[in-house]
Amino acid sequence: MTTLRSSVLRLLCWAIGIGFVLYVPFVLNTRTVFGYRVGNMVLLNLGLAQVDLMLISIIGAVSLNFLTGCAGLISVGHAAFFAVGAMAAAAAGQQLGLPFAATLIAATIAGAIAGVIAGLPSLRVRGLYFVLSTLALHFIVVFCFAEYQYAFHDVAGVTMGDATIMGFELDNNVKWYFFLLPFVVLVCVMLQSTLGLREGRAVLAMRDNELAAAASGIDVRMLRLKVFAFSSAIASLAGALQAYYFTSVSAEIYTLDTAIQFIAMIIVGGMGSIRGGIAGAVVWLLLPSVLVGTTVELKVLPGGVAQFLVGHQPQMVNLTFGVLVAVLLITAPGGLAGLARSFAARGSRQGSGV
Amino acid sequence: MEIDALSMRFGGLVALDAVSFKAVEGAVTAVIGPNGAGKTTLLNCISGMYRPTSGQVSFDGHNVTGARPERVARFGMARTFQNLALFAGLSVLDNIKVGAYRHGQSGLLEGALRFGRARREEAETDAAAREVLDFLELGDAATMLPAGLSYGQQKQVEFGRALMQRARLILLDEPMAGMSAPEKSRMVGLIRRTRERFGTSFLLVEHDIPVIMELSDHVVVLDFGRKIADAPPREVQADPVVIAAYLGD
Repeated sequence: MTTLRSSVLRLLCWAIGIGFVLYVPFVLNTRTVFGYRVGNMVLLNLGLAQVDLMLISIIGAVSLNFLTGCAGLISVGHAAFFAVGAMAAAAAGQQLGLPFAATLIAATIAGAIAGVIAGLPSLRVRGLYFVLSTLALHFIVVFCFAEYQYAFHDVAGVTMGDATIMGFELDNNVKWYFFLLPFVVLVCVMLQSTLGLREGRAVLAMRDNELAAAASGIDVRMLRLKVFAFSSAIASLAGALQAYYFTSVSAEIYTLDTAIQFIAMIIVGGMGSIRGGIAGAVVWLLLPSVLVGTTVELKVLPGGVAQFLVGHQPQMVNLTFGVLVAVLLITAPGGLAGLARSFAARGSRQGSGV
Repeated sequence: MEIDALSMRFGGLVALDAVSFKAVEGAVTAVIGPNGAGKTTLLNCISGMYRPTSGQVSFDGHNVTGARPERVARFGMARTFQNLALFAGLSVLDNIKVGAYRHGQSGLLEGALRFGRARREEAETDAAAREVLDFLELGDAATMLPAGLSYGQQKQVEFGRALMQRARLILLDEPMAGMSAPEKSRMVGLIRRTRERFGTSFLLVEHDIPVIMELSDHVVVLDFGRKIADAPPREVQADPVVIAAYLGD
């Protein structure tokens, strides 16, 4: 009886969730809900463009979480793989004239190759030294991107071709949303799936105890390279998608700051789980806008304070993120995903106790 | 498994000095000796954690001297560690499943795309791991994290992971250390039953003399990296050289 009720409940939750995800782009695009106009505050000051960028960031954060949270390899080179993807897509699309879909495949393959190269130092160095090698990678890739951009494109940036798939042009945010969504779902489902099977489990084992993993027959060095290739292939794909979304990209957008933001996302969301990557990217990409919106609308505060908040929006956003990361690191090392899990565990314990 | 004139030097320190002995197939061979005699170093040299300075280790007709640990494992040798080496983030069942890695083929991409082979391997691994859990009488703990188990149970999980490797030879580094008396007798029972059921050979390093007398067919005694005795347990117990090494001259 209870199992039937809970499975019906779960089905209902899924249906509502899917309905929400499918309807949200139209709400944000037209600013109406079922034909009724809604205010900016009801929509939390969010626009569909932010949501599209968030979807791209989810792919990035989830792939970094696979590398850092699941395999235990800390990398500050994740923005570099976005650059590799953009570069490969531009080269395949603009120089070779390949269609959009083929450039995405090219970017994924280029990312895997770059990932293996980036992973090579992991064969010899550990810990902080390895992090430094990914830092070096970042600057090398950005340098290459700049040289490529000046040689074959414009100083202002690399202009991408039209994103057209089977005669269907992605020329507005709603179309992009429905194009990006399957990628996000696919990447998450694939990573989740492999983590529960033979070699994915070996990745987690390697993170927890390298010696014991090796004694169980796992070639730790080879597996690290594979994880690197896997993670950076996905990041490169995200980079190519991002480049097409922006229609033009330049070397300056691939900053170390971006790479560090990805690390912050997985800390906030929760290391080592797919959900953590998603939650981190959602919070990191959407919170600024929500914060800015609420500070603007805050009329309850005395005039001087409200004025101050409005005048210092970027600082407020940074401050909030700083506090968020610090508080989560101290009180909930499992991030938002870990918090949700422990709440769920508490809920089910109470439920069964009654 | 045969060890021939195995030596290991760390700088000026001679941890193992030309040690030779044979672990007979199907038998339990024990290595004992005072603290610092080089017992764990010996296991590390055999299992590929250290590369010995000189000498040779052959196993099942292969020369495995200086081979990397994962290669040694693939030849059919498993080991447990003196201080627990479990995967803290994985459930008890998953810890045991890791042992089956060497029997599988499917990679990350096949797992991501859920290829038939990856799913088939997982089904086999799952069935085998549950069998091992039942063998260990830890069936109820399958979904728990290792940290939720007692020390003795955690050691059993590690033993289960070695079993899952279906190894011909299992190296046990102090399997009874830190265990209560009932836990010890459980462990002895497990080793016995494993040997009967699968014909597995064991090489164990242990301090608990009564356990060794009860369990082993052959005892090798190390002192300061040198082998000072190599005989059945009863003879070793009466050997004046061994008694002197343990009690001091």
